[in-house]
Amino acid sequence: MNNVNLNDDQQDCLQEIINVAMGQASDQLARYLDTFVYLKVPSIEQVSSQHLSDTLKSEAQSVAVVSQGFFGYEGIRGEALLMYQPKDSDRLADLLGYEPDELSVEEQIIDLSSILTTTFLNVFASQIDNQMSYSAPRLLFSSNADNNTSSQSSISEHIQHNAFNWEVALKVKISYQVTDYSFNCDMILLIPESAIINITSVIDRILEDY
Amino acid sequence: MSDNPFCTTIAEQLNTGILILDLEYNIVEWNRFFAIHVHKNLQDMVGENVFTAFPELPKKWFERKLSSVIQLNTQSFCSWEQRHHLFELSHTRPITTDSHFMAQNCTFLPIATNKINTHICILIEDVTDVCHYQTKLNKTLEELAKANRIDGLTQVFNRKHWEECLDKEFARARRYDHGLALIMFDLDHFKLLNDTYGHQCGDQVLIETAQEISSLLRLCDQFGRYGGEEFAAILPETDLAGALDVAERICRAIEKRVIKFQDKNIRISTSVGVATINPEDKRYEDLISNADLALYEAKETGRNKVCAAKEIELILED
Repeated sequence: MNNVNLNDDQQDCLQEIINVAMGQASDQLARYLDTFVYLKVPSIEQVSSQHLSDTLKSEAQSVAVVSQGFFGYEGIRGEALLMYQPKDSDRLADLLGYEPDELSVEEQIIDLSSILTTTFLNVFASQIDNQMSYSAPRLLFSSNADNNTSSQSSISEHIQHNAFNWEVALKVKISYQVTDYSFNCDMILLIPESAIINITSVIDRILEDY
Repeated sequence: MSDNPFCTTIAEQLNTGILILDLEYNIVEWNRFFAIHVHKNLQDMVGENVFTAFPELPKKWFERKLSSVIQLNTQSFCSWEQRHHLFELSHTRPITTDSHFMAQNCTFLPIATNKINTHICILIEDVTDVCHYQTKLNKTLEELAKANRIDGLTQVFNRKHWEECLDKEFARARRYDHGLALIMFDLDHFKLLNDTYGHQCGDQVLIETAQEISSLLRLCDQFGRYGGEEFAAILPETDLAGALDVAERICRAIEKRVIKFQDKNIRISTSVGVATINPEDKRYEDLISNADLALYEAKETGRNKVCAAKEIELILED
């Protein structure tokens, strides 16, 4: 586990890149959504696969979770999880600029997730001279979906049911707040072990340039 | 489609539709896959507005979607699970699926020239196949989940699911100090009935008895087949007097009911045991034991009657 631990300099550097990306992303989102979007200072920590479900238990209240894979050059890749609380989805269509009857709540959640994830990661990628591609966002579960047989399960259960082929992941959690619409959600970026080493070497290169 | 000969060849051979629009939503280009499934010639359509060419598109939604791609300079997606299709296209499984139009996963990409977005590329993937099998799978999963809960013969909860319900209700009643009653039914002389009229008659009796009992319970009560000719009902928020009242009504209704089997009129009765949760009950099984004891009492003292577990205790204490 030691070889994938970030040292203090690396952690500070990653934090700084993320802070800058958050600033630009929130600016872009504010223009597009025509309202202020606040991004809270991120938390960065390492999680082991056994403890992932534990650390996500605090999010157990989530009614909807959307996953979207991202991948860039130099082996930088991971999965973004967007987590929504029950009250958050009331005015989503309004926020997104759609007519409520134009699209289902699920589509609104998926659409917003994709916008938040890709906007942030695009800026993040450009900070490290990279470029991201994305898989289509997927609703892991939603308690709104009547036809979803897994609707009873929480995110931690969902994750427990999977056998992981990784041991350690880097977890970056960023909270989004749109106060005009009293809307909050959390974005959790999970970067698997092999990609941490790649991201560390990118960070080291940036540190050398200073 | 490009100066690079590989790109042109591949774009034309690709089993994915490629449609390119300018920022006014006019058609600029499409590939062979799209042309074939749309049954239109690109030459006739170039320059035409996408909403004129495809009136089926949800205009406002589509415009907002594309504006996010341009403004945020990022790709956007649209899955068949939320929208079966955007474009009304033919597909490659017209014979073996019931899908009228191609189910589509669409990706919207910004295309920049000199760092300024000038076009939007829409990739259209044919997922009719995926959609077909996923829909079948979901349906099967639903049926399986139901079959896992339901007794095949009587269509009420099976023993396993009923016990899970009791487990939950017991824990809830414990936690919030709420009432909870359990009623257990055992049809009288059921073996004799089977021996006299045959098992098909016995089955008919079980089906109709289950219907009769179900019809006399509240929506929140949970009713299941406990064993061969034994049924059981969970009554949340119910005290002993309430449960005895329901049990007595069910007992009388079953006694009155005439079950027709092959021109014969069959009458049947049931013995009933009632128990309510009490502080000594540690596990839901204790509640079942108490109801079972009361049921035994009803059988021993003449059948076709209701006995309460509490009464037994009182008798014992006296």
